[in-house]
Formats: sequence, structure tokens, C-alpha cells
Amino acid sequence: MSLFWLRVAVLLYGIAALAVLPAALYDRPRWRHIAVPATIAAVFFHFVSLAEMLNAAHHRLPVDTHETQSFLGLLLALAFLLVYARYRTVSLGIFLLPICFLLGLVPAFHPGQESTTFPILHAGWIFLHVALLLAAYAALFLSMLASLLYLVQERHLKQKSPTLSWLPPLETTDQIALKALLVGLPCMTAGLLIGSLIAQATVGASYFRDPKILLAFAMWLVYVAMIHIRRISGLRGRRAVYLSSFVFLVILTVWVANQFSAVHRFTAP
Amino acid sequence: MSQSKPTPTQGRLILLGINHNTAPIEVRERLAIPAERLADATRTLLHQPGVREGLILSTCNRVELLTLQDDSEAAQPQAKTDLLRFLHEYFAVPPHDIQPHLYEFREREAVRHLFRVASSLDSMVVGEPQILGQVKEAYTVARDAGAVSTHLEALMQRTFTVAKKIRTETQIGSSSVSIASVAVDLARKIFGSLYGKTVLLVGAGKMSELAARHLIQQGASSILVTNRTQSRAEKIASDFNSLTVHTEAIPFEALYEQADRADIVITSTGAPQKIFGRSHGQHFLHRRRNRPMFFIDIAVPRDVDPRMNEVEGCFVYDIDDLQQVAAANLADRSREAAAAENIVSREVDKYQERLQSRDAVPAIKALQQQAEQLRQAELVRSQSKLADLTAQQRDAVEALTRSLTAKLLHPQLTALRESTRKKDSE
Repeated sequence: MSLFWLRVAVLLYGIAALAVLPAALYDRPRWRHIAVPATIAAVFFHFVSLAEMLNAAHHRLPVDTHETQSFLGLLLALAFLLVYARYRTVSLGIFLLPICFLLGLVPAFHPGQESTTFPILHAGWIFLHVALLLAAYAALFLSMLASLLYLVQERHLKQKSPTLSWLPPLETTDQIALKALLVGLPCMTAGLLIGSLIAQATVGASYFRDPKILLAFAMWLVYVAMIHIRRISGLRGRRAVYLSSFVFLVILTVWVANQFSAVHRFTAP
Repeated sequence: MSQSKPTPTQGRLILLGINHNTAPIEVRERLAIPAERLADATRTLLHQPGVREGLILSTCNRVELLTLQDDSEAAQPQAKTDLLRFLHEYFAVPPHDIQPHLYEFREREAVRHLFRVASSLDSMVVGEPQILGQVKEAYTVARDAGAVSTHLEALMQRTFTVAKKIRTETQIGSSSVSIASVAVDLARKIFGSLYGKTVLLVGAGKMSELAARHLIQQGASSILVTNRTQSRAEKIASDFNSLTVHTEAIPFEALYEQADRADIVITSTGAPQKIFGRSHGQHFLHRRRNRPMFFIDIAVPRDVDPRMNEVEGCFVYDIDDLQQVAAANLADRSREAAAAENIVSREVDKYQERLQSRDAVPAIKALQQQAEQLRQAELVRSQSKLADLTAQQRDAVEALTRSLTAKLLHPQLTALRESTRKKDSE
């Protein structure tokens, strides 16, 4: 049943992704009134699907890449709705909603087969660990996207060509970029802490000798450093995009590395 | 122009007027009606022979009389003469001074013209937003004067809907075409909301003050003014005092120390050399911790070194840049106007169809009443023969006669509706 609701959600993401184009590019309120409710409905059904999946899983948690992808899609859709609620702009949806659609597409029609057995006591914590880290990834992705849009808009304003009217103002994209980072930091901190505690309890101290795990902590430090630099120097524009991209690459490397780590295959090293 | 023949009860729509395309300002100003006299003029119009309903739209670019005339009056060219006489008598302008500039639209074309006017397709600056408000004002005055009832009421409500539809479905009014509003648009592209923003005026000039006023209207809360002559700066600052914003005249010598307080700088001095160079931009941005600054340079020769635009976070627009953006926006509006014209055409068709189906209603009702009277008369005539019938049987006879009448009438009613539609579309 969870698969059915996920398919409904994916369909709604698709509708929202199409409707957001005229809504943002040509400022058509009628299309905005389709895109936003469709996304809200998609998020709702995505949640239902997730709840049913977790309910059915008991102590077997589907941790296939497809499922994490789908969850990342849900977080990005939530990010789109939060940005809309706060800044009344749907422009970011042009990029976010098709990504949500694509991230949900494979899990909805070719669900993964892998699942992992946990002691029932840990299942909830594992889910929280994954969810919080994915939220941090989503926040960083949103921040990078906003920074890129800032760059495009800034270039248009500098070149004095008629500005792209569908892009949000510079101040707005800058705020989105910074606030996304600020939301991402506690998510990443809590996600890493929970992960460490679970690993400590199940694998023991050897876990902390895994260089890939150490890299994850380095990622956290880089993230904190980036926020610090942005806040102190008021970094914007090109340099902010370069910094965000660098951190994004580091985080992507950590994520890929962790796919190969012994801990994440849940076998003792 | 449509020359259709509506049913006698319908009346005829006639629109007579002059606008900026047909008449020079010398003629338009002689026919302009001040707001306080509009109600009186509308009442006078209503007393003209054959005028059943009427409305006067008077703006700086047009004077138009929209009237619903009796069919008997309107069928003759007399209607136009009467309206012309009204203009002549009310404004004391000889008819031969008005006639060459006058246009006349009837029925369908009058509806089309009204839709175009309210949607700002007939305006001097296509897409300008004021005209819809002016049409609404004219309607309110006419309604209060008792000059608008069923027909014009329906037409005006449809006009407002069409104008709103065009605003939302096209981008005809979305881009700015004046220098001051382009400057405001650009400021909003940089800062989003202008609430709480500070504007610095360097030098004095009508255009820079106008731009500042536009920025205040959009929420800017603080105006700093500087001038080589301190008293002049104080005078300008005091002019802005009434606008409930914080104003401050700063000495010209303190310009470089104070300029970074401003988010938007408008320069319009007559200085032969540049006042702000690239290094000033870097200095300001450093002090502002990279918060952007927008320089609007209206001066010729320019006050701001264009190379300041290369500094990250500094945006410099001179008068030519602003004019180019305005010209590009105007071209965009023309493209959107084509889409708006299509909407007007579709809406005129829809309106006419609705009107035509309404035209057939009185004839249909009359036919139905006649048939009902005949049915009742026949029932009365046969009363003695039906006396022995039970109540149930009587009901059956009643239902039978009703059904027969309806079936007999059906082809006639369909033909009537069809012929009204055809007659009106001829």
C-alpha cells in the first residue's frame, strides 16, 4: 500500500513540476494555485507512504539507495513549501519540483529489495540518523541552488540586460541561502551524534578508526567554518557560490564514501 | 461596424468620443469634465432625446459618451447629432470643432472599444494601470446619478471582469516604462522589499526627487540629502518631511563618510568630474559588510564612474541604462498587447452571445403564455364533458394537455432562439 501512495505522490510532484513553469516564468497566479496545492498533496501522500512503510518494516528498515532518494525528494518538496510560505516565491520550484519527481520515480516503480535487520531498540534512532543527515543534505542543496540563482540574477543586473523577472530578488535568494545553511547545521550535528552513539553501541570503538567516518566529522567542521565565514564577512555572490559548491562536493564525497564503509554495511570491520 | 437590429426592448449601444489619437490637446482640454461636474454632465446626458442609459468617461486623454438609445431614435443618424449637440451645448464648443476628431462605435464595436479602453489597450502608454480606476469612477458616478440600470450595468460588470482577466493572464502591466518606475523595479530586484531602506540624494533635480518619491511609496523609510549648497540640501530634505519618512541633510564634505548608510544612491549633480569612483564602491561595500548598494546616476555628465559596476555588490545604472530597460519593457508590453487583443475578441463574442440569448427571452415567454391561455380555454370548454371524471383522471388529462403543448411548442421555441442568434450576428 505504501507503494501506491508513493506513486500518487510522484504523480502529484509531476503535476506540480509542470504547473510551476508558467506560474514562475510568466507569473500566472492560476498555475501557482495548482503548483502549490499539488505539492502540499504530494508531500501529504509521501508522508503517508513513509509512515506505512515504517509501520510495516518493524525491525527491518528499507535502507536501499532508492528509499533514501525518495526521502530526500520529500525533504526538498518541504523546503520548497517553506520557502514559498516565507518568501512567497515559487521560482525555486522550477528546479526543486522536477528533482522531487525524479527522486521519487525510481523508488515508486522499481522499489529496492535491500533491507537491514536491526535490534528493534535501534530502528527509530537509525531512521532519525538518516533523516537528519538527509535534511542537512537537502538544506545544503537548497543553499547552493539559491546561491546559484543569486549569481545569475546578479550577472543580469550587472550586464543591464532586462532582468529575468521570474528570479527572486538578490536579497531573498541570499536570505534563503544563509537560512538553509543555518537550518542544516543542527540537523547535521544531531544526525552525526546519533549515528556515533548507535555505532558505539553496536560496533564499538573500532568504528571511530574508520577514515571514512572521520571524514564525516571533517565535513561537519567544514560546514561550521562555511557558516562562520558567511556570517562574519557577509560573503555573497560568486565567492559564496564557490564556498557552497566546495562544501557540497566534500559532503557528496563523504556520502559516497559512506556507501562503502563497513559500518554502513552493518558488518563489523 | 455592426448594424444589427435588436428586439424593440433591447435598445442600442452607441459610443461617441475623442481621444489622444484623434484629437490634439487643444480640443481635448475644451471637452474635459472636472470630477466635481461629472455627475451633473451625466444627468444632462440622460435627458437627451432617446438616451435610456448613459455614462461619461473623461480623462486627460479621452472624453467618451457611452449611451444606450431607444431603438426608434438610434435607427436614425439623429442619435449622433443629438449627442453632438449635447457636447456643443454643454461645453460651448462649436460642432465643427469637434466633428473631425470624433469617433463613433455601435453595438458590438462599442463593446469591443470599451473592453479595450478598460484593459488599457487604447491608452497612450499601453498597459498603464490608472485607466481601469478611471472607468470604475465614471461608472460609480453614473450609477449614483441613476444613469446606469440593467443593460449598462451588465456591460460595465463584464468590462471590469475582462480588464482584470487581461491583467492576470497577460503581463501587459507588469513591466515599468518610465525612468522613475524602472529605477524602483531595479531596486526591488536587488533588495526585494524596500521597507526600511535608506535613499541618499546627491544633488538636486526633478527626476531624482521623483525617483525618491517612488521609492518612498514602495516603503523606503529614510531620505538623506546632500548638496554643495547646504541650504539647498536642507530645503529638499524639508520637502520630503511631509511624507512621514526620516529625512536628514548631510554636509557635502561628509558625503564619503556617510554614503555607506544608504542602500540606494541617486546622483544628479552638475559636477564636471565623477563624484564616486571604483575605489569608493569598494570602500562602501567593505563598510557595509558586502550588503549591496544601488547607484542611480541621472546626471549628465555622469557622477558615478561606470567601473564601479565591476565591484561585487555595487550596481550602477546611468540614465541611458534606465532608458534602455524602459524601452525593452515597452517592447514587451506591445507583445503582450497582441495576446490581450485576442482575449478581448473572445470576450466580445461571449458577451454578444449572452446578450442574444437574452433577446429571445421576451418572445419565448409571450409564446408560452399564449399557449397556456389556449390550453386553459380548451379545458374550460370541455369542462361539462369531463365532469364525470375522477380526480385521478382529471390529473391525467391535465398532464396530457401540458405535455402536448410543450411538445408542440418545442420546434417553434428552438427556431425562435436560432433566428434571434442569426439575426443578431448578421
